[in-house]
Amino acid sequence: MPTTLLLALSEGHHDVPMSVTLLFTGILVALIVSLALEEKIHAKKSLIVGVFAIIVLLLGMVFEVVPGSVPVHVGGETLTLPIYIPSIDWSVIAIILGSSLFVDVTSKSGLFTWIAIKLTKASAGDPRKLLWFYGLMTVVFSAVLNNVTAMIIVGSLTGVSLRKLGRAEMMLGFLLVEGLLTNIGGLLTLISSVPNIIVGTAAGISFVSFFIAAAPFVVVATGLTIWMGAKLFKIESLSTDEERKDALEQVSAFDENDGIESKGFFTFASVMLGAFIVVIATTSVLPYVKELGMGYVAMTFAAIMLIRYKSSVDTYYKAVDWDLLGFFAALFVVIGVLEHAQVLGLIGQGLEVIIGWGDVAGTGAILIASALASSVTDNIPLAAMLAKILSSLGTPADSPLWWSVVFGANLGGNITPIGSASTLVAVTIMHKNDLKISFGGFVAKAVPYAAIQLVIAVAYVLLFLG
Amino acid sequence: MTQVDQFESVFRAAAKPVFHPATVELERVLVVTDLPPSEAQEYGGQVEAFLRHAASADAASYDTLAGVEARSTGQLLQLVEDAAPSLVCAYRNLFSDGWQWPHSLGEALDLLTQTSEAPVLVLPHPKEGSQAEHALQNINQVMAVTDHLAGDDRLVNWATAMTQDGGTLTLSHVEDQGVFDRYIDVIGKIASIDTDVARASIEKQLLREPADYIDSVREALAKAGTPVTVEAEIRLGNHLSDYRALVAEHEVDMLVLNTRDDEQLAMHGLAYPIAVELRAIPLLML
Repeated sequence: MPTTLLLALSEGHHDVPMSVTLLFTGILVALIVSLALEEKIHAKKSLIVGVFAIIVLLLGMVFEVVPGSVPVHVGGETLTLPIYIPSIDWSVIAIILGSSLFVDVTSKSGLFTWIAIKLTKASAGDPRKLLWFYGLMTVVFSAVLNNVTAMIIVGSLTGVSLRKLGRAEMMLGFLLVEGLLTNIGGLLTLISSVPNIIVGTAAGISFVSFFIAAAPFVVVATGLTIWMGAKLFKIESLSTDEERKDALEQVSAFDENDGIESKGFFTFASVMLGAFIVVIATTSVLPYVKELGMGYVAMTFAAIMLIRYKSSVDTYYKAVDWDLLGFFAALFVVIGVLEHAQVLGLIGQGLEVIIGWGDVAGTGAILIASALASSVTDNIPLAAMLAKILSSLGTPADSPLWWSVVFGANLGGNITPIGSASTLVAVTIMHKNDLKISFGGFVAKAVPYAAIQLVIAVAYVLLFLG
Repeated sequence: MTQVDQFESVFRAAAKPVFHPATVELERVLVVTDLPPSEAQEYGGQVEAFLRHAASADAASYDTLAGVEARSTGQLLQLVEDAAPSLVCAYRNLFSDGWQWPHSLGEALDLLTQTSEAPVLVLPHPKEGSQAEHALQNINQVMAVTDHLAGDDRLVNWATAMTQDGGTLTLSHVEDQGVFDRYIDVIGKIASIDTDVARASIEKQLLREPADYIDSVREALAKAGTPVTVEAEIRLGNHLSDYRALVAEHEVDMLVLNTRDDEQLAMHGLAYPIAVELRAIPLLML
């Protein structure tokens, strides 16, 4: 495992002068600021972090912080690899690549749009019911697929269905609630969001344990968020029979089978999705498979699905979010070097002070601090850095500190529109539907929800996960 | 954000216009002629006998206007307005010998189709002799024509109402091949759009929408127990020549089409040439 390898490497590093550590700390700050200003500098994440990876590797060599290459033992043979190869956590990359390919091909079966339209019809066009159905669907899709795909599917359906129902004035409320729910749904399973994968993998939390721990909070936070959305945006039920009849007629016009090109593939995709969830959930107990990990499972399912499109798999390869994968790879390299430069150790000392405040104040402070940090910059580097620090501090798997990072990193995305990729998608869909909302406007509307979610999260982590 | 567009497209395509059946009530039919009173009455009787094949027109009351009753077009329009019919029946080139030249509908019919609140049934001219052999015998074969069928409930409801029990209602939708080719030609000059994919996708979607709508018509009529067989004619082609061919192929007894356009005072662009050229069968102009 690359993570193990890195830890082994970190154990062997030599003393680093404070001036060098501070230099690399400055680089880390510059990286975080650059990521926060991603939209302003018009550069993709992968390139931003890639440039920083190149710089820190070179400086790491100049200041003798990292070796240029390391020996890796594979099956009795010793390979010498450049330091940036084993720095990358390839299991995380495999999970993300495999899952995104699997979800992309599965969505071509029409399964997700079928579910979405079925729920729309089940609501009979009643706005209040529709908000509940779309809200629950957002959470489930975020948990099973990923936050961004969930927001794209539910958000685009919201625009189309509310316009058809003549309820376009409710769209802002719907999209905001859905955007916030993506980050709640992202808490449900170990593979629902990248911070979960990183922190869960580092802490050694299994899929089932993660689900059991997170599910009660997700249920409560989902119900509360939808209820608040209905109240604050005045999304009421239809009051007259005529309104109900008209709404029913409008939603009846949706054909859930329209997006299904092949009934056979639709059935196959449904079965495979169920199998994917079951196998991912039981990876840690399956013989042989547990050694290969969730990345292997995700890649295997992706390959099986791609057989359906064997002559045009390149189309799906092109659709992979290479920017995200490049970003991860470069980020792991940067964090690896920063670890050797004692930067993580320095931050860890600060964290130790916070942890020292006690179980209640320390755990709560880390959750809130993680949320605030995630609200203005990417939660992935934050999660990766904190996971590494908690690992190096020898934090046990059942410590609530891991959950503080998970909850804070996910829920922080609900404070600002740039806090997570899915809320950014929600805002983009709002703008696409001519709904004007500024950065400040979003924060003003989202903060009441985020504040309540964070208060409940702190209480939940302290009471039930401590 | 192309994925948002992709899913929006999927959901927009899934939101299909569905046919809503509605009863067309024909309470009063007014037959307008430029014939002498005795001939007008005889002609009115023929029209009545023809229309009574349709169940919707069977219970209607019938009146006939003879030529002497209207001395000017203005007077004719006023008489029609006063009669407040649910259907006006007339023929082209009223009060004119223009019927001898197949190039116009004549002033009176031009105005009637645009000013009358009731639809106008344009019949073959009684003197012209170009009437089809099967015309005015029954209303067994009715065809509705449009270049935008999906969602046009009024057109389909009228066409259904005019089809006799056991008859066949053909719903036709012809997309203009010339316009389609022109757009594909432009797309072919845009590097970022795959021309072949665009051609196939646009054609498929253009023809799929009316097909889905016709399916919903079939479903609704079957549910309502309407004894009419619904057939579909959907294609890319040339409006006029294709409609001419379809009318001949199906031996259509009545053609139903829209004539009004909210954005203009004159007759709907497609309706006028059809009305001028298809002189052998009755045309119901909505």
